[in-house]
Amino acid sequence: MLSLVFAYAWSTGNIIFLGAFFTIVAIIVATLVTTTLRTLRALRANAAEAIRWKSDFHDMPSSSRTCRHVFTGEFERRVCNNEFNCNGCEQHALLLAQQNAAAMPVNAQMNPGFALPLDRLYSRGHTWTKQNTDGTYVIGVDDFAARLIGTPSAIDLPAIGTRLSINGSAWNFKKGETSVRMLSPLEGEVVETSDGAQGWYLRVQPLSADVKTGHLLRGAEVGPWIQREFDRLQNYLADPKIGLTLPDGGMPVRDFTAEFPEKDWDAIYSTLLLEP
Amino acid sequence: MDKQLISRGTSRTPLPRFMLWILPWVAMLGIGLYAIFLCLSKGLNQTNMDNRFSFGLWIYLDLTVIALGAGAFFTGFLLYILKRKELKAVINSAVTIGFICYSGAVAVLAVDVGQPLRAWFTFWHPNVHSMLAEVTFCITCYLIVLIIEYIPVVLKNRRIKNVPSMLVFEFELHKLMVVLAAVGTFLSFFHQGSLGGLYGVLVGRPFAFRPALGIWPTTFFLFIISAAAVGPSFILLTTWLTSKISRKQLVKPEVLQDLGKISGSILIFYIILKTVDTIFWINSVHALGFSPAGFFRIQEFGTWILFLEIVVLGLVPAILLLSNRVRQNTTLLVLSATLACAGIVLNRYVMTIQTLALPTLPFDQFLSYSPSWQEVATFLAVIAYGMLVYSFSFRYLTLFPQEREIQSV
Repeated sequence: MLSLVFAYAWSTGNIIFLGAFFTIVAIIVATLVTTTLRTLRALRANAAEAIRWKSDFHDMPSSSRTCRHVFTGEFERRVCNNEFNCNGCEQHALLLAQQNAAAMPVNAQMNPGFALPLDRLYSRGHTWTKQNTDGTYVIGVDDFAARLIGTPSAIDLPAIGTRLSINGSAWNFKKGETSVRMLSPLEGEVVETSDGAQGWYLRVQPLSADVKTGHLLRGAEVGPWIQREFDRLQNYLADPKIGLTLPDGGMPVRDFTAEFPEKDWDAIYSTLLLEP
Repeated sequence: MDKQLISRGTSRTPLPRFMLWILPWVAMLGIGLYAIFLCLSKGLNQTNMDNRFSFGLWIYLDLTVIALGAGAFFTGFLLYILKRKELKAVINSAVTIGFICYSGAVAVLAVDVGQPLRAWFTFWHPNVHSMLAEVTFCITCYLIVLIIEYIPVVLKNRRIKNVPSMLVFEFELHKLMVVLAAVGTFLSFFHQGSLGGLYGVLVGRPFAFRPALGIWPTTFFLFIISAAAVGPSFILLTTWLTSKISRKQLVKPEVLQDLGKISGSILIFYIILKTVDTIFWINSVHALGFSPAGFFRIQEFGTWILFLEIVVLGLVPAILLLSNRVRQNTTLLVLSATLACAGIVLNRYVMTIQTLALPTLPFDQFLSYSPSWQEVATFLAVIAYGMLVYSFSFRYLTLFPQEREIQSV
């Protein structure tokens, strides 16, 4: 090739010039090959759902990423950058060691009227989980999400044997044209599904004896968290001409979509159910 | 279907109105494609260029869009290498603009050079004695980098990211974005410079010729710095325009202010260097027996063009952009960014058109050139192509990640 070029010489300058550009080409090719190999490896390891959560988390508005320690008043404002993986958070471990459970009584006043029993653990995506006596866990949607979605037009449940990952897709509700993804609060294999008539949708068998639930909300955190979620919902439902108004009593309606059919529910589900 | 492709939490104009918006651009692109067909099938006799005036509207367009598209590499450099996280709000838009500018420039170059099927010759038999060899290598490589950088923006589309392999590929590619940002910076540094160096080495044209610093003429460095200076201004301007046209707040005001500050800081540095360079040039052409002002007195060009470029469209926007009070006033901020961009558009015009129009020998005439309709149509086709790609990207991709957060508050 180059020997055909008139007056071409293998001088230092020419070698540096061409060497630099062929190095660039090699870097570009290496980047693409590395990406492809990593993609194939991740897909083979069934890591797609975990990656989806990582990707989604960083696309979520900061209002959806409030640290759980804000709910308990330990911080006035703090945004989680750790994908709600409290197990890997140094600050969480530090605060947990300092916490005195008795000093943080469950404040029923903080719950604006949603039925959120404290015998279970709640995920930030509004699913809950509770251990059965046989060691399996049932997963359902909390009262806030249930009222947010109302009556779904269809439920797309996973097949028995499907492996769920923490904050990966658990199942989907269909509401009109909108598909609503519910996040799995824990890792496990689906052993039974239900239409929700029994209060839950999935029964899962954990994949190991060490079930990771440290990231799930519990006890005194639940009331303030749901109050904050309700505030965010009201922000969406507020009439832009009037601005934000506060309810002076009463209970939340059974189906918010029926009360506010004109609202952009796709956007509301996206923000509150953590699917950007 | 259309709504299912639009990012969640963002609203866009109804589809019929969007179609109405893109219709004129499609028509403009269609006419341009016909002109391109004529140029490629019948030859460059379809243009008004000749052996004397061989750089015309197309090269001017190339130089301008490549300078304005510098926002892509510079924003990437600031975000991924210098960790200026606030620029995350505009990086997707910057990459899209960069992709449009460079792909448009390469397309026009393919028509300008002619025989695009033989384009591979330039890589297989490079003329290493030419600045253009370096430009060709760099622009081609950088266009590939920009395509790779644009891919994750596309793969983040609401429907596409539902496909697990696409989602994972995007995620893994994004992790290596720092490598691409570094490569893009390296390539941009050299091809922006070589585009300037191209004129600076023209010994037979004292209007453009500049002394060498090391192995490069001063125009090499001036082109790099000027492109880095106006890149952020152009991102600022396009973000503001998109915001106005879509009637949505897309980024927080601080982001635009930061872009203005970055642009102003580099622009003032550029103007100082440009002034020093001009003073040296005046002395050097004087020493050669030319009258520096004489270059501007010939026919249409007057010294006002120099004043306009350095003072009105250089120094003034630089000072304005460096003022905190000006940056907090959106109208003045946008006006300053517009002036800065106009300055670089004028600089590239002077370097391309004025350089070639001036006579070089005593018996030479002042050359005048006006582009043929085929040249103009091809030029407009690139504008239309850019508008279409950006419009579709804005509608179906997340160009401004803050938009959603701003809407949700």
